[in-house]
Amino acid sequence: MEFYTNALSHVLSFGPLTAMIGATLLGVFIGALPGLNPVMAIALLLPLTYSMDPLVALAMVAGIYNGSMYGGAIPAILLRIPGTPASIATTFDGFPMADRGEASKALKIACWSSAIGGIASAIALMTMGPMLARVTLFFGPAEYFWIAIFGMASVAVMVGSDPVKGIMAAVLGLLIGTIGIDNLSGQARFTFGQTWLLGGLDLIVVLVGLYALPPVLQLAEKCDLKGLSAAQLKLADVPFKKGEIRGLIPTWLRASGIGIGVGILPGAGGNIAAFLSYNAAKNASDDPSSFGKGNPQGVAAAECGNNADNAASMIPALALGIPGNVVAALVLSALTIHGLQPGPQLFHQNPTLVGGFMMEMLITSVLIFALGGAVATRVFAQFQRLPGVLLVPTILILMCVGVYVINGRAIDLWVMLAAGFAGYFLEKVNFPLAPVILGMILGPMAEQSVRRALLISRGDMTELVTRPISAVLAAVTVLVIVWPLVKMVRRRRKPAEQ
Amino acid sequence: MEKRQDIVLGLIFVGIGIFAAWMATSYKGASGTYPMVLGLVLTLLGATVSIKALRQPTDQPRALVNAPAKLGTAALVSAIYVALVIPLGFYTASFLLVLAMPLALGFRRLVYALTVAAVFMSLIYLVFSVLLEKPLPRELILSLNAVGG
Repeated sequence: MEFYTNALSHVLSFGPLTAMIGATLLGVFIGALPGLNPVMAIALLLPLTYSMDPLVALAMVAGIYNGSMYGGAIPAILLRIPGTPASIATTFDGFPMADRGEASKALKIACWSSAIGGIASAIALMTMGPMLARVTLFFGPAEYFWIAIFGMASVAVMVGSDPVKGIMAAVLGLLIGTIGIDNLSGQARFTFGQTWLLGGLDLIVVLVGLYALPPVLQLAEKCDLKGLSAAQLKLADVPFKKGEIRGLIPTWLRASGIGIGVGILPGAGGNIAAFLSYNAAKNASDDPSSFGKGNPQGVAAAECGNNADNAASMIPALALGIPGNVVAALVLSALTIHGLQPGPQLFHQNPTLVGGFMMEMLITSVLIFALGGAVATRVFAQFQRLPGVLLVPTILILMCVGVYVINGRAIDLWVMLAAGFAGYFLEKVNFPLAPVILGMILGPMAEQSVRRALLISRGDMTELVTRPISAVLAAVTVLVIVWPLVKMVRRRRKPAEQ
Repeated sequence: MEKRQDIVLGLIFVGIGIFAAWMATSYKGASGTYPMVLGLVLTLLGATVSIKALRQPTDQPRALVNAPAKLGTAALVSAIYVALVIPLGFYTASFLLVLAMPLALGFRRLVYALTVAAVFMSLIYLVFSVLLEKPLPRELILSLNAVGG
């Protein structure tokens, strides 16, 4: 408890508090603009946080993450355009509600559900994170090697439609992570005589390119010259019926549980949490046929589920140093930017920071109640009147300024562009990008851990699988990789046999 | 379409893998083993993707680019912008980009674009140069003025 009371006094100081309020508003705004997403926004933000206090930087990440997950519901309800992938399920009942003149009510439900899901998730993070960190004190280099491989493998096989492409993406990330001077031997690898490559490719530069440029190029392709008209964004107030809000409580509880469970699993994101919560609400309903036709329970389940995924996804990231999704990977990047090593030692060496970040995830969820209300929603909806073609250059400028200020080098801008164009085409051929980033983050940890383990065992490879914890982790990792491949082969054989 | 794209994708990764493994042979000791293993695994996975695609009985259509002309324009203007950031200066190049990109994509409301450019660039200046004091590429126009003065 002292862990959190100490952290709270820091979090409630001027800097982190204003950062949380500003970033939550910014997050709602980003989520409300189709084409922009939280990953892109946080990737753009990270380079700017170099000179900031880590708690302020993390407050901004927390605010944008929680705020944008709610913001995505605004166009999903008003226009049936999901602002973020996690708000696809919100369109099912949100838009039919808006269609029959209940847009304001649907937005209120989305706002409250997002806040409740976020609060439940933050409480899960605050209770389970420190417990998991305590377990990891028994880990040695061999265990860390397997944890890194497990994290990458599970994300690689779960995201995208083809596990082979997922694993290939992770290996590509690992390979990119080897560029530069090898810390253990001093050998320069894949530098081609270029001094700017000696320090390796900057993670943030590649990340901004991979995640921010493809949506910008897609916006350019869509070529929206008009934006929305004022008439399309008109909202009328519809009062709640008696007992209607109380009826949402079981849905909120169920969706919070599902979202937290999905968040802890590596590779599964807010969109999966929203779909599962939506389906669970539909199955539990007395009138499942009303779902998809404007049932408020559908909006509540989807929005509560996708926000309940947020803080829970930070549990393995903060406790083990293993990011379960790209936003968690970005949080780890934010920590490394400030010279902090993610993992169990973080809880012992920087309790104020870890506890503070957890509190920030909680406070920004509460802020959605206050900042995401009907008035704010009306204001944010107005930004959709901006023509999409004007967003293309403005985002590109933000990307460039963010990347340039990291090292003050023009070459980084070209690396960012190259990564972005590669990312655009790779996404088109169903090649998942998240494992590339995870590979870049976890690669150095995996390599150093395996080499340390082999140094300790004097080159005995069996050391990697003979300790009880490492043996279990190795078995689980193999299972995680092999099982989807077996399933894929079986699926292929079935139609052939038929 | 999908089949051909996957075959090419697999072959590209076979190439990257072989190249990485070959490069790694020149690195001393354990520092070469790890990238060599990764290179070989990548080669294997790339070959698997290609072979899988080759054996696929059907070929689904999958567009690599939805609007080639718009994408090409955006890519070209982005590249020109990045090339001009250092010689022209950050603010000059960025202001030109906010005007040029929408115009190149077919937006014809120049006053609207100018207003957005002015408001956005003022915000960027306030945040990055005044508030955060980040050093950005120097403006050519200021250097010319200094020389002229």
